[in-house]
Amino acid sequence: MTKSNYDYMETLTKTKTELCIDVKGVSVRFKTPKGVYTAIQNIDLQIFKGEIISIIGHSGCGKSTLMSTISGMVKPTEGEVIVNNKKVTAPGPDRGIVFQNYSLLPWMTVYQNIYEAVDSVLSSLSREEKRAVVDKAIQMVNLTTHKDKHPQQLSGGMKQRVAIARAFAINPSVLLLDEPFGALDALTKGSMHVELLKLWNLDNRNKTIIMVTHDIEEAIFLSDRIVVMNDGPAATIREIVDVPLPRPRDKREIVNLPEYRITRDHLISLLMDKFSIMDHGVEYVEKQEAEEM
Amino acid sequence: MSTSEMKAVLQYKTIELIKNIGYFVAGLVVLGLVWEFVSRRLAGELPGPLATWEVFKGLIEEPFYDYGPNDKGIGLQLLSSLSRVGMGFLLGSLVAIPAGILMGASKVGMKLLNPIVQILRPVSPLAWFPIGLVAFQSASSSTVFVIFITSLWPTLINTAFGVSSIPDDHKNVAKAFGFSKIKYIFKVILPYSLPHIITGLKLSVGVAWLVIVAAEMLSGGIGIGFFVWDSWNALSLERVLAAILIIGTVGLLLDKFFSLLQTKFSYDKK
Ligand SMILES: Nc1ncnc2c1ncn2[C@@H]1O[C@H](COP(=O)(O)OP(=O)(O)O)[C@@H](O)[C@H]1O
Ligand SMILES: [Mg+2]
Repeated sequence: MTKSNYDYMETLTKTKTELCIDVKGVSVRFKTPKGVYTAIQNIDLQIFKGEIISIIGHSGCGKSTLMSTISGMVKPTEGEVIVNNKKVTAPGPDRGIVFQNYSLLPWMTVYQNIYEAVDSVLSSLSREEKRAVVDKAIQMVNLTTHKDKHPQQLSGGMKQRVAIARAFAINPSVLLLDEPFGALDALTKGSMHVELLKLWNLDNRNKTIIMVTHDIEEAIFLSDRIVVMNDGPAATIREIVDVPLPRPRDKREIVNLPEYRITRDHLISLLMDKFSIMDHGVEYVEKQEAEEM
Repeated sequence: MSTSEMKAVLQYKTIELIKNIGYFVAGLVVLGLVWEFVSRRLAGELPGPLATWEVFKGLIEEPFYDYGPNDKGIGLQLLSSLSRVGMGFLLGSLVAIPAGILMGASKVGMKLLNPIVQILRPVSPLAWFPIGLVAFQSASSSTVFVIFITSLWPTLINTAFGVSSIPDDHKNVAKAFGFSKIKYIFKVILPYSLPHIITGLKLSVGVAWLVIVAAEMLSGGIGIGFFVWDSWNALSLERVLAAILIIGTVGLLLDKFFSLLQTKFSYDKK
């Protein structure tokens, strides 16, 4: 690591001491026809301002539920979540949410979808100011030429960009992304990663981003820390893994760093050891990659 | 699309249209033949298509004549019925749509209104006619009242169903971005349930057009239903049959109009 990179890391860690999100002893229980189901149990998690955090775990373990307690869409049965020094009781303008399935309203154009959110959250602005905010958000995700289209006319990647633009438009200090790139093909996904980081950089890395994913590579490339969850019911945090990779990160370069491989192997073992799926095929691929290095 | 492709599509559509008209005419011919056959078997008791056609022509030659309270042209009768259906349907929809939204959007609303709807819906709307007479002291207003009741149920039930089936995704958007109640109703609930509401309106207007004939037979005075009853009393079955054709055609046009609205307002086809 070069000297300048070191300085950079220092400034980063310095700015990341201001607590932004404090999840305190949160449990969520759902009433179901079969009885009470405990999704997550006694979760403690502290996230600092400007961090990018990934939550990773097997399907159905409670990642979305944990996110929803932060966004305010789900009330914890026990414990509480503090965001920006305030207890979360409902969704709020300081938190922008990007849902797993885009959640755009199909009867509205791209522009209207963003406008209604802006109109709702930034209600004190004048109509002209709101329009300017929407235009800027659409420009930011390069959709200006598509702003009068309906969601049905857009590709998956474009819809995802609209959802992200909508969340960014209200300028929240916290962004909550639930499997934002899950439905995208690998190429689109790659460019969306870069775009997300660009947006984060544009804002001087002040926004705190929490993202649910089950893509290990994606988590490493984007995050400062990765929260690995145990399987449910009553899921807890298994481990929080630091990603010791300097920013800005280059996807092609970081894969060659030993820190990358160590982090990835560690994550894989955390997620997979229970199933012992390490068959010979996987080992073979691993060896081959090692030789290439 | 290139011009030659557009031409081909246009040509195809024209051929389809001509075919459909052909089928329609063929259907009419079959109906006419059966009608003629039955008429002959009944030895003149039931007028045949040609005799009816003559009367029909007479009726529509001067549709808007007005020779006093009991002798008006078929056009005036039709307009009178249409205006009552329009009035009752409009009032009914103005009550049914908000009530349907209330039922679909709130559990309490559903529990409150559903039993009432379940009890009243199976009742023939004509049973309300005497209530209307007492309430409005006028046969004509009472007819509008009957249509009002008729128009309530299909719209109410379809609206409630539409609103209650709003996907969580759409609700989550409203919750996440803190939509106000007004914004939620006008930007989420109504656009989502509009196709359901229009289906309800279409069913309502269809039933209303069925019921108006019977209601006007009760109320007398004026209207296409009264015309049918009056013609029967004057022993002119030709006029009754001609009226049936006219009622059917108007009903078809009403249905087509709402079908058109349906395709226009289904957002997923944009
Ligand atoms: N509203 C709900 N009612 C009942 N059970 C729920 C509800 N939401 C989630 N669950 C259950 O909680 C568990 C965790 O769900 P979720 O947080 O969506 O998982 P993940 O996002 O990790 O795939 C699952 O078993 C799911 O079935
Ligand atoms: Mg999920």
